[in-house]
Amino acid sequence: MESLYQSDEPLIIYKVENGYNIYTHFSKKIILTNRNINKFFKSFNKKKYNKETDLMIGFFGYDLLCNLIDLKTVNQKKSSFYKGIFYKPETIIKIRDNIKIVSKLKHKKLKISFQKTQVSSPFKMNIKFPKYQKIFDYFSRKIRQGETYQIKICTKYRNKSKINPINFFWKLMKVNASPEAFMIRDKDYSIVSCSPETLINKKGSNIFTKPIAGTLKKNNGLDKKKALKFFKNNIKETKEHNMIVDMERSDLSKICKPGTVKIFKKKFVEEYKHLYHYVTLVKGQLINKIDLKDIVKSMMPGGSVIGCPKIRTLELLNNQENEDRNIYTGSFGFIKYNKDMRFNIIIRSILNYKNFSEISAASGVVLDSTAKKEFNENYIKAKSLLELYK
Amino acid sequence: MIYVIDHQDSFTWNVVHQFRKFDKVYCSNYFNVDYKILNSSETIVLSPGPGAPKDYPQTSKIYKNFKGKKKIIGICLGYQQILYNEKGKIIQQKNIYHGYQSKVKVTNKSKIFKKNKTFKVGRYHSLKLREPFNSNSLSITMRCSKTNIPMAIEDTKNKIYGFQFHPESFLTENGDFIIKKILSN
Repeated sequence: MESLYQSDEPLIIYKVENGYNIYTHFSKKIILTNRNINKFFKSFNKKKYNKETDLMIGFFGYDLLCNLIDLKTVNQKKSSFYKGIFYKPETIIKIRDNIKIVSKLKHKKLKISFQKTQVSSPFKMNIKFPKYQKIFDYFSRKIRQGETYQIKICTKYRNKSKINPINFFWKLMKVNASPEAFMIRDKDYSIVSCSPETLINKKGSNIFTKPIAGTLKKNNGLDKKKALKFFKNNIKETKEHNMIVDMERSDLSKICKPGTVKIFKKKFVEEYKHLYHYVTLVKGQLINKIDLKDIVKSMMPGGSVIGCPKIRTLELLNNQENEDRNIYTGSFGFIKYNKDMRFNIIIRSILNYKNFSEISAASGVVLDSTAKKEFNENYIKAKSLLELYK
Repeated sequence: MIYVIDHQDSFTWNVVHQFRKFDKVYCSNYFNVDYKILNSSETIVLSPGPGAPKDYPQTSKIYKNFKGKKKIIGICLGYQQILYNEKGKIIQQKNIYHGYQSKVKVTNKSKIFKKNKTFKVGRYHSLKLREPFNSNSLSITMRCSKTNIPMAIEDTKNKIYGFQFHPESFLTENGDFIIKKILSN
């Protein structure tokens, strides 16, 4: 394992319920574009699922997802980073209480090339507070006019650095082993993420989504029961949560059989090492023979990190932002050859590419908040990632 | 058949599924209406959506064309669109209700619901009807029990109904009952 970590072999680590899966020995790599994405979805129609490694794992970037629902991001300075990449693994290493390897490949010789983390410039934010305040006020007006009910402003931290993503990932897992955490290390880029949010979990015709709206930092006086009480009594958290639940019900209804979309578990608290999340589990039963593309189009980009209603809010965001979001608010996950899938929402993530690291964070504009508070909230969200560079 | 005109809202498909409990439903974008199917539908539903009624001239045109000829039901923005086309003024309100659950009470004008009956309902609206509002045909049939803001309208002669709240929201209790009543009237 250590030699795999220290090699230059591309690999992906994904958190599973009781451990981690490492996917490696990729036999295929598909770089997605607006042009080939339809072909990518269609390719699953011909595939047969025989063994555990029969899946494609990777990510859809934000821009690609917007394009799928016919939204253009014309004001954004385009980055040269990939819009999406999927890999076909030949080996899965399962880290549970013990380690199990699923592979048909013989032991492969690995080239050792250890990457040290090097930081050559401090982090800089793309939006300073006065600019943030301006956007906040503009969006507040839009809420008053009924153009959007909730909208999230994204800020980005960048520095010049090389990182060791595996080192970063395990360090991060020690403090925050979030349920949708993952890491990708490829030859020319890496992603390290402690995403907390499951966007799609599909098995057969059953699909569920588990939106998070509401986060509370842990402290000594707090327990799960008290956290739930806090969320229930907090009007701001409650109404944001309500909105996301109705939105996710609607997104699921678009692709599910009438009458099957149900709130399975309403407004409960999930406990993590440093925080509590306020979540709801919504389930549905997919329409027969629905296309993968329609599922992705209906659910992505995940509503809880965008705002509501999704289309108009995305238009407002895309008109206002002038930088490419890259992976941020895209989705990472896998599609099995039997079309089962699992996808998260890419937030709380580091993208390292061409010797630059970027970390994005977003928080919501709602009328009973202030620009200062939400601006600071963005910093709090990025903090555990920024600290890895120290 | 029910035709749902979608104003690109993130709640529209909840509306579609609610109405599908009672009849066949067809749904399309407001800028992409299939007039053949619309003509053969008995009921038109104007969906919720962002912005204000004046932003959707296509929907206003449809409303005027079919008023009195088909049953028309408006939800949130759709409700405001009906009022806007009946010379009502739609204005911004001081307190904004997005994701709120409130109690509404049936007024003595309703011909469908029992007077003084209350419902717990989900609300998502920045705008409201300015009062006084006078109309020969439309009556305000529900109001917020706390703020008195108009919450529902009826014109039983022309079969026009509207709700400022969202009967399809999980925050609305008895939403199916409300829709069933309207559809069977």
